[in-house]
Amino acid sequence: MNNTNRALNRAVVIVIGLLTLLAGAALAAIATVAAVRTDYRKEAPAAHADLSGWFKAVPLFGTGTSWGWILILAALVLIVVLLLVFIFRQGHGHHDILLREDATPSGATVIDADVAQQAIQHDLDGRPELLASHVSTYDVRGTPVLKVSVTCRRGESPRRATQLVENTLTALDTLLGRQIPALIQISGGFRARLSRRTRVAGTARAR
Amino acid sequence: MSTPAPYSYRRILRRETHSSRAVPAITVAVAVILLCAYAGTEIVLMMLNRRALLAAPQDMLTTLGTLGSAPVAAPVTIGILLMLAGILLLIGALTPGRRARHQIPSGRAAVVVDNEVIASALARQAAHAGNANPDNTVVSVSAHRAIVHLTPTSGTPVQSDAIKEAVQQQLAAFELYPPVRASVVIAAAGKVGS
Repeated sequence: MNNTNRALNRAVVIVIGLLTLLAGAALAAIATVAAVRTDYRKEAPAAHADLSGWFKAVPLFGTGTSWGWILILAALVLIVVLLLVFIFRQGHGHHDILLREDATPSGATVIDADVAQQAIQHDLDGRPELLASHVSTYDVRGTPVLKVSVTCRRGESPRRATQLVENTLTALDTLLGRQIPALIQISGGFRARLSRRTRVAGTARAR
Repeated sequence: MSTPAPYSYRRILRRETHSSRAVPAITVAVAVILLCAYAGTEIVLMMLNRRALLAAPQDMLTTLGTLGSAPVAAPVTIGILLMLAGILLLIGALTPGRRARHQIPSGRAAVVVDNEVIASALARQAAHAGNANPDNTVVSVSAHRAIVHLTPTSGTPVQSDAIKEAVQQQLAAFELYPPVRASVVIAAAGKVGS
């Protein structure tokens, strides 16, 4: 429901995975494949000398170091910043406004997401079949979408839970005069596992 | 009341039933950040003429340059580990990453159910049909299969067909997508006093 860029997630993992794979393969090849090892022994010192020469060619005033290192530092900082942006870009997508009616001569109407959230939650909280419910609103490509997650009691039919939430949503539709797209997520989870199987505190069979 | 525009749940349903791959992506990003931070620290220390934490950047380059005549044990080990990590990352990035969830059709909303909930509902149904204790009924639900393991109560006859029938009926009522086929396994030995 959130607007995490999943393609980007996969792309980042692919790129880093490929780089890691290639680096590993190169290391192993230099160490074990005779032809590669000979070639590397021939070429690497020259490349190393070229690189050292380049560092010497761009000295940083009289400090004994080089602009080259500053450049590398800048590149490292850039990579770190980009990755931090990438990390903090995950998730998000919550929305505060459920409905916005175009302005009429008498004024505009804005319905807060809290209205639906509290109405649904209040209705579902009384249901003995459900242990817990949580309602949130997401902005999915410009459309507000309700997400109703409910935790079922152990052994409860998910079909029945779906029906309960559907009824609540239909009531909300009538209340608002609009149908808001919704996602119902039915989960079990920790609380369901700990809870009693049945909701009737019976004079249970002795165990 | 205006006619509700049909809303396509395709995108939402796909995203709810597949992993976002946020965990490997963030892990990889953090690893690269740490690596960059380490390299940056070494460079700064070198520029300030301080002692290096592990090795000065120039020494690292020299080591890399003379790798062709260095002993092979360390590079091979590191190389193989890196290759392994790379392959695991690629597998993670390229597989679909289905989550343990199913869809249930609904006229009003998109519905996703955890497999766990399906399993626990089937367990209750199977236990009821088999006169067994629900605690002795274990159901595992995967993308296309539901396997019911039932340990009968000693002395109580169990009709395997009735259990199968009950489980199949309930699964049919759920109308799960992707569809799930059920099989029932009844333990040969019962359990006393359950």
